[in-house]
Order: sequence, then C-alpha cells, then structure tokens
Amino acid sequence: MIEFPQDPQNTIPTSSVKIVGLGGAGANMLDRVALDGLDGAELLALNTDIRTLSGSVAGERIQLGRNLTKGLGTGGDPDLGNQAVLEAEDELRAALKGRKIVFICVGLGGGTGSGAAPIVARVAREEGAFVVMFATMPFVFEGRRRREQAETALNELAVLSNALVTFDNSRMGELVLAKQGIHEAFAAADRMISESIKAVIRLVVRPGLINIGLDDLMSALRTTRSRCLFGSGIARGKDRAQKALRNALSSPLLDEGALLEDAETVLVHLCGGEDLTLFEIELLMESLSKFVPKKAHVLFGAAIDPTMNDQLSVTLVSSLPEERLRQVQPRGEAGAAIASVSTLEPSVGFDAEEEPEPEPEPEPEVLKVVEEPAPEPEPAMISLSAADVDDDSWIQASEKNDAEEASETIEEKEEVIEDEEPGFFAEPESEDEPAPDEEPKEEAFVAKLEEPDDDESPFAEYESHSKSQASHIPRFNKAEVAKRKFAAPKSGEDEIFDSAFDELEELPDNKPTKKAGHPQGELSFEGGPRGRFEGASPSVFEGEDLDVPAFLRKKRK
Amino acid sequence: MARTKIHVGLEIGTSKICMVVGEVKSDGSVKILGVGQSKSVGVRKGEIYDFPQVRACVKDALVKAEDASDVEVGSVFLAVTGAHIQGINNRGSFRLPDGENTIEQEHVNEAKEIARSVAIPQDHVYLHHIIRRFGVDGYEHASSPVGLSGKTVDSDFHVVHGIRSRIENQIKCVREMPLDVDDLVFSPIATAQVALDREARDRGALVIDIGGGTTDYALYLDGVIEASGCIPVGGDHITNDIHLVTGLPFSKAEILKVREGDASGDPARSVGTAKVVDEKGFSDAEVKRQLLNDIIRQRLEETMRLLLARLPSGAMEHVGTGVFLAGGTSLMRGFGELAHEVFGRDIYRPEPPELSGVQASFKDPQFTTALGLIRYAQIVESERAPKRGMLGRLWPFSR
Repeated sequence: MIEFPQDPQNTIPTSSVKIVGLGGAGANMLDRVALDGLDGAELLALNTDIRTLSGSVAGERIQLGRNLTKGLGTGGDPDLGNQAVLEAEDELRAALKGRKIVFICVGLGGGTGSGAAPIVARVAREEGAFVVMFATMPFVFEGRRRREQAETALNELAVLSNALVTFDNSRMGELVLAKQGIHEAFAAADRMISESIKAVIRLVVRPGLINIGLDDLMSALRTTRSRCLFGSGIARGKDRAQKALRNALSSPLLDEGALLEDAETVLVHLCGGEDLTLFEIELLMESLSKFVPKKAHVLFGAAIDPTMNDQLSVTLVSSLPEERLRQVQPRGEAGAAIASVSTLEPSVGFDAEEEPEPEPEPEPEVLKVVEEPAPEPEPAMISLSAADVDDDSWIQASEKNDAEEASETIEEKEEVIEDEEPGFFAEPESEDEPAPDEEPKEEAFVAKLEEPDDDESPFAEYESHSKSQASHIPRFNKAEVAKRKFAAPKSGEDEIFDSAFDELEELPDNKPTKKAGHPQGELSFEGGPRGRFEGASPSVFEGEDLDVPAFLRKKRK
Repeated sequence: MARTKIHVGLEIGTSKICMVVGEVKSDGSVKILGVGQSKSVGVRKGEIYDFPQVRACVKDALVKAEDASDVEVGSVFLAVTGAHIQGINNRGSFRLPDGENTIEQEHVNEAKEIARSVAIPQDHVYLHHIIRRFGVDGYEHASSPVGLSGKTVDSDFHVVHGIRSRIENQIKCVREMPLDVDDLVFSPIATAQVALDREARDRGALVIDIGGGTTDYALYLDGVIEASGCIPVGGDHITNDIHLVTGLPFSKAEILKVREGDASGDPARSVGTAKVVDEKGFSDAEVKRQLLNDIIRQRLEETMRLLLARLPSGAMEHVGTGVFLAGGTSLMRGFGELAHEVFGRDIYRPEPPELSGVQASFKDPQFTTALGLIRYAQIVESERAPKRGMLGRLWPFSR
C-alpha cells in the first residue's frame, strides 16, 4: 500500500518537493529549472554518464551503475539502464524519502532514460510521493528502434506515475520559428517543461481564495494510463483574461484547446494581483467553456497574489485517457503528433509486465487520504499570519516563503520575456531579481507605471479595487505581506525578523492609499507616446518600439 | 503581339491610393493613359485597418482613373506591402539520376521545387518566387540549363512571403470594387522595374521606396535581386514625431514637415524658427528649426540604418551604381545628403524612362511604384504567353 501521510494544511512546503532529472535530456531540463530560479525545491540528477552528471547544476547527484557501466553511458541500451538504476536503488530511495511530490524529467528513447525511469517512478511511489512524470519522446528521425524503446517505457510510466506529461520532440518546431537556432528550440522545450513544473508547484503550494490542492490535482489526473494535458499562460493589460487564456491554450500539449473537448475533469487555476475582478474570472471561464464539454467536471481555483501586480495567470490541467487520444488523432495534424505516441500498441513484453502491477488500487486510497484535510487550509494560514506563532510553524512558514519568493521572481522574469517577444523564447534575464526588501516599494512603482491608460476612470478602478480588497483581502493580505517580509531572513539578517513582523499590521493599510495617490495620466509613458499609432500593433525591432519618436528614444538613453 | 494591351496598376498606400492605366504598344513602349489618385484613409503602415473607408477611396481612384483614361478597368495589378512581408534567398540542388547526364526540364523543375520549399511559417503564403540564377555542377548560368550536360542542377530563388490572411484581405478589398486582381506584386519589386535599368542592376543598386507608412527596399546585385523587405516606418512617423515632441496638431506638423523640414543635419539650415502661417497671416505654430530638423533627421537616419542593418552584410560594398530613392518622403530636403552619409554611395531620384503621355506627374517619385506595376505587367505579359491563374504564380525571369 502506498502511504500518504496527512498534511494538516493540505499545502506542501517546497522542501518536500523533489525534481529528478534522469539521463542526459533530464539533466538539461533540470538545468533549465535551476536557471529559472526555482530554488525552493531540491534538484536531483541521476545519470550513468559521469561526465554529464558532473556538469549538472543539481544540488544532489547520484551516479547509476557505478560498477556496471563504470562512469560511461549506457549506449542506448534500456536493459543496461535498468540494471544500472537497480544498483543504486538504495541511494535513490534514501534521496526520495519523505517527499510529497516528485517530478521526474526524462528524455525517453535512450538507455538511461527509458531503462531507469520506470524504476525511479516505482521507488518514488513506494516512498509515498505523488509522481509527476515529464517525458520527451525522441525525434522521428532518430529511428524506429529508439521510438519503440520510448513507447515501451512510456507505457510502463503511464501505469507507474500519477501524472504523465509527454512532449514529442518532433513538435518542437511549433515552439520556435523556422529560422531560430536549434539550441533555442531545445531551450524552449525545456522551458515549457520547467514552466509546467513551476505551475504545478504554484498550484499546490500557494493557498488560494478558492483553494485547489493536491486532491483536486489528483482527481483532474485521476485516470490511470492517461496523458496529461497542460497549459499555462500569463498576461497583463486590458484584456488580460482573454490573453492569458489564449496563451494557456496555445501550449503544444493542448492543441489550441481541441484536446480539451474530450476531457472529463478540467482543473483551472487563476492567479492574479489584487485587482483581479470577478467579472474577469467570469469572462475567462465563459470563453474557456467553449473548449470544455458541458458535462465535464471543472475544478476551479483562484488565488490572489499581490506581487502579480496587474498580471493574471491561468493554469489548465486535465487528462485524457489514452483511448481518447487515439480517437482524437484524425482531427488535426497537430493532434496527430501527440497521438502518434500512443498509437503503437504496447509490446507483448510490456503486457506481461503490466499484470502484476496493482494499478487501480492505490489510487482511490491516496485520494481519500488527501481529501480529508481539504476544507480547512485557510484558517491554518491565518493562524500563521497572527503574531503568536510557535517555532515549528515558523520555520515551515519561512520555508514556504522562500518558495513563494522564488516562484514570484520567476513570474516577474516571465513577464519581462513576454514583453520583449510574444513567444516565450527570449533568454531569461536573471540579473534583475530585485532584493526582497525593496520589493514593496518597487511594486508600487511598477503599478504606477503600468496601470493601463484605459478609458475607465481612475476612480472606478480604484473602487472596484478597494471593493475586492474589502471582501477578501483583509485576512489574506496579511499573510501575503507577511510572506514578503519573511523573505528577508533569506539574506541572513535574522534581527530584522521581528521588526518585520511588527510592521505587518500597518502595511496592508498603507497600500491602497499609495496606489490611489497616483493619477493614471502618467502611466502611458511606459514605452513612450505613440500618437496616432496608439492601439496599432507595435513595430518592435531589436527591443525598440519604432512608433515612438526616434528623437525621444535617443534622448532617453 | 500585334495589338496593344492595357494594364492597370493599383497601389493602396498609406497616404494615397493611386491607380495608373497604361497602354503597352506592340513595339514595347508604354503610354500612360490616365492616373486616378485619391487620398487614403484607413491604411496604417501599408496595411488596411478600416475596410469601408479604403473601399470608398479605391472607388474614388477608380472613377478618376477611368475618367482620365477613358478605359473601363476590369482587372488590376496590385502592389502590396507591410512589415510582415519579407524576402529570403534559397538554393535548391538536384542530383541527376545515375545514367543520365543531360539536364531535362523535369530536373530543372525538381531543383526549383526544392528551392521553393523553403521553410516559411505556416500562416504565410508566397508572393513571389524569383529565380535568380541556375547552376550546373557549381558553375553559374543565368538562364535555364535545359539541354546542357552535368550531374547536378542548382537553382537559386528569391522567395517573398507574407502573412496569408493579411494578403488575402487586401485582395478581397479590391475584389469588392469589383475588380479582378491579375497579380500581386511586392511594392519594392514594382518600384525597381521603373527605377533600375539593366545596367544599374548589373552593377548593383539599392532601391528605397520611403512612403507614408512604410519603407520598402530591394537590393539588386549582379543583375539579380539579392534582398527585399519592408520596414514599417514612413513619413507618417515623422509627422507623428513632430506632433509628439512639439505638441502641435497633426495638420500643422504635416505642414511644417513638408514646407520647412530638412534632414541633412547641416547646422546652417537649422538656424532660426519655422512658422506656419494661416490664411489671415497670423502665425499659429512656431518651432525652432533646430528641433524640427533634429526630429526629422533622427527618425530618417534611424530608418536608413535599420535598413542598412537588414541588408546582407557586405552587400553595400558591391553596389556599384548607387541608391535610388522613391516615394513621397524621399522629397524631404536634405534626404539625399543623409542617404549618402549612411550608405556612402551615389544617390539617385529615379526618372521613369520611355514613357509617353501625361508627363507631368511621372517625375514625381510618389508615382514610381504605380508606374512600376505597369512595367511589371508588361514584363510578365511578355514572359508568360499562356496566362496562368493567381495560384500558379511564378515569375520566371531574372532581369
């Protein structure tokens, strides 16, 4: 039986999240996750090849098959990979002990990836973790044999892991323009996977107004032997609800929403700044309902995160039984690429392996255990924000804050990227992470700059603002602000810990007045005035908006 | 061809819509029968954003052109532009099957097919496939190598492509007149037909058509097209810049730009103030010349530098003839000096050759593109004897 210990808050501190990169491709994905700054979660690299392993940025590394391959790779032989991981099974088990969620990133088709992934997934499940598998399928040109190896491994993984997200390398072309370099294509694919990981973590870790926890995630992904459909989008500005949804649907895993048509359960998670309005949510859900069948069970969650500023993020998670995926295939050529993964029948050898697997049993039990604590996450959060916190939860909170901080800075980076280019392919700028203490100040400044110069009057906006705050922020806000303040200890200054906590009570009150103090007139200056080209699609060239007078641009430099 | 043929060119520009009716005589000379011109509303950066308005404007130009030329216009050659259109070069090689060493037509077609299947984004559509040159076993041939012997055939194409929906919508707009569209032509290619003669092309020349909303360019080296494209910046941007920097209304900014502006960067021309005087003699707008000229120069200089950066590296060194300027904004004072400074080559304003008819307007660089369409039509007509449909469009000539 799989154990799943109760978690009183139904939220998961990032310390119990482990991200495992397996094989060469997995190491690349792991590097991307690390580069994107998910510093809360622990990273574990597994490989047979000692050279790539030593090049990994992961904090923990385990060499597989120390005696078997002697530091070399497996040469594309899954059996070798399989034996190699069995050699290091105890080490692996120790590394995964007590983790609540384990993400496994693997590129299938090779020796280490295909051979070891099922074992790693099994060990993680046996240690009681929720296993989310991110697997990439080999390119078509890599040949039939690798493809078959990948298929075999994939079929095993579909049974062994709680959720399986596959990405077909052959579809990488959709992520980047034809003329972009191959490294950008791979980086884009890795980035997509790292974004997925972050979104799942965000979903589970951050408590929301309408909370979504691990239980919901699991029921969205309930069907065993299924493929995960996943999309995540962030947008800002006037019609951010629509834009965010569009971005989420444009994920290659969703096929522009066409694949959602057959979904039975869809998990939708919204996260916005304090100005997130009910109207926006309604609008978004309404347009989403066009893609989701009427009978589908929609698990809706929303969270307010002041650091999102005027951004709105949407995360869609759903799953599709494999039989459905096969039916979907003829619908569109884009769908075909995913579906082609599953059209090949599982090999005979695999079928034999499948039988002893007690696959349907563990699932419901795990669910039951998790569902129980669901109703009371919020009170727990409040007691956390109150001043009388005992030491244990204190530590837990600060841990959580670190993670929050991390995921937030990531979002900020994402936003930078999105501004520069509509796609998400720009290189992340990791230098511009603001120091945690400065953040509130900067946030106010950014809000001042970027509030859109809509036709809405500033008062109307502020009203809706304060209304929404009145309804749900007060108790929540404290917690959020507390978190940001807590981020300070990260830099090692424990003394300001207390004073930060004292300030806690005043801060939420200051905030609205700060925002209201700035009229909207100044705001349009973000990219400079555009005169008659206002509203037209901008002509951006090398980061400069050509519609803004050259005269003004040159001067500003 | 015994009888004369009438061609009509239509350019839907950002500032004006221009329709030119031309007659191609049997000896190959072109006579312009009439020009219909109308102010353009609803076009921004070379692309239509307000269809009803543009329809009305095209209708107006059509009526005027029909009036002037006394010809009933049924179909037009349409010039298209926009930042989404770009030109790229691609080369295709085909190796002859074993045992054959004479190049047949099918081999050439195969090589063309390979060259043309250049990776373009899915939502894009081809505008032109211009064959630049052929090659046999690595040796370059200007014309089709059918009948020669060799092992491999290469074909070098210049492919112009743009976003399908935007191009289709421009066609739709014209069809609703109702007018048929004979062919689509990327604007700078049409302009080059008038601006460049064979010698200029052989020695290498750059055509820049800087109009109201866009700056289109086409570079010819060794007689064949080397690069083409569009930068979505034009005269409108200058007016807009003046408006934004000085706060003057658009109408005044436009007058100042046309009457007083200077792009040469010569300090002697930037002394004192420039005024707009209304009909009663009151000056109602006044700007320091220094400021006005700075705004104009910086905009144009940036645009020219952007253009230079987009050309293949080192290409300008091979331009022997120089830079040909066309389009309304090229009338800006001092623009020639500026262009010389940026490109370091001789600067020309094109004068259309071998045209008879209503001469006055043809000297105006604003009409270069529309005239080029007639020229293009003439060349296409002579090259392709059986008329092909819109989709089987291939432009099988290199000069």
